[in-house]
Amino acid sequence: MADDFDVEVVTRDDRSARLLVRGLTPAVANGLRRTMLSEVPTFSIDTVRFVENSSVMFDEMVGLRLGLVPLTTPLDDYEVGESATLALDVEGPATAYSGDIETSDDLVQPADENVPIIELKEGQRLEFEADAVLDTGKEHAKHQGGVAVGYRHLQRVTVVGDADEFDEEEPNILRGVIETEDGELVHTEEFDADLTNRHPGKELEIEDVPSAFVFHIESDGSLSVDELTLRAVQSLRDRADELAEKVAV
Amino acid sequence: MMIPVRCFTCGNVIGEHWEEFKARAREGEEDPAEVLDELGVDRHCCRRMMVSHTDLVDVVSPYQ
Amino acid sequence: MELRVIDKTDEELRIEIAGEDHTFMNVLKGQLLNTDGVAAATYDMNPEQSGGQTEPILSVKTEDGLDPLDALGEAATGISDNLADLYDRIEAAFDDAAAEA
Repeated sequence: MADDFDVEVVTRDDRSARLLVRGLTPAVANGLRRTMLSEVPTFSIDTVRFVENSSVMFDEMVGLRLGLVPLTTPLDDYEVGESATLALDVEGPATAYSGDIETSDDLVQPADENVPIIELKEGQRLEFEADAVLDTGKEHAKHQGGVAVGYRHLQRVTVVGDADEFDEEEPNILRGVIETEDGELVHTEEFDADLTNRHPGKELEIEDVPSAFVFHIESDGSLSVDELTLRAVQSLRDRADELAEKVAV
Repeated sequence: MMIPVRCFTCGNVIGEHWEEFKARAREGEEDPAEVLDELGVDRHCCRRMMVSHTDLVDVVSPYQ
Repeated sequence: MELRVIDKTDEELRIEIAGEDHTFMNVLKGQLLNTDGVAAATYDMNPEQSGGQTEPILSVKTEDGLDPLDALGEAATGISDNLADLYDRIEAAFDDAAAEA
């Protein structure tokens, strides 16, 4: 394993980030991606006790939709398997939104307020009490904290000369993050993913930078991107520690 | 029926954007592509969820 | 994580690491291959539908008199140290990004 890590945040907003990590082996990069998806636990509704459901959907259908609503997860306060209680009571004519759900713990809240659960007509009513359980994506995909987490190699683009004058100019499509000759990091979206927009009439050389990976990390809102990433690293490390300890005995 | 909470393919939460999308692009005159861009629904798997959806609650509600 | 030694000689080890999957096994195998004194390392894992052995089995072969269990311990500590370093770097990078914004 290359020993010197170098980490840079390329782009960053509330729920997504691009993270350049140098010095990773492909095995660790993939281990990290898999951990973010399947090992970092989040809250999700698991059991629903319906008091009244006179909506057009069956209990099971409403239950499925509820499970998919992301809930903010205070990982310091809960262990995997522990639960929080939620409740909702909406009477039609109205739409029941995720934001109408009340919770027993203020730290466990629907991450989005505007997800429609079910539209209720005159005289229809939805009332239930539900348990949200903290579990991992390995158990059920609704517990995945990361959405579309992936990585690509960092690509280095070098101008080697002018393109042949009489060559027909063809689009040179490239996705991901490139490193320019001055070491600047540019996402290909900035020039519409076509290198001929950035370097018109030039001959280019593109190569993967060894052991440099650009992670695209997106969260569903249950955890912040930082926390998701760091918890994933920690979870992988915990397992290495556990193994070291058991082997030593 | 109701807009799915998440995109079937990638798992991104898209339900929260439906009502705005419906108001602006279905009932309004705006270009759906531009509305989706503004809402931050970038991937084509998520975009198809919105573009191809039909609300059916009004259709089935008389049969309860 | 439950360990069960299946075969063990001076330079060879087959061990079941129950409860783990490709996420950790591949990282571990990669680290073992970069450990001095390890001649070969691999793991075998069957899908749940196979009906047989589904927990991963790690095979390690060492040379120059290195005990394979020691090699395994060394690899695990190596991963842990590396990830500790990575954790700090990522944390610092996110903090820098937050400070800039």
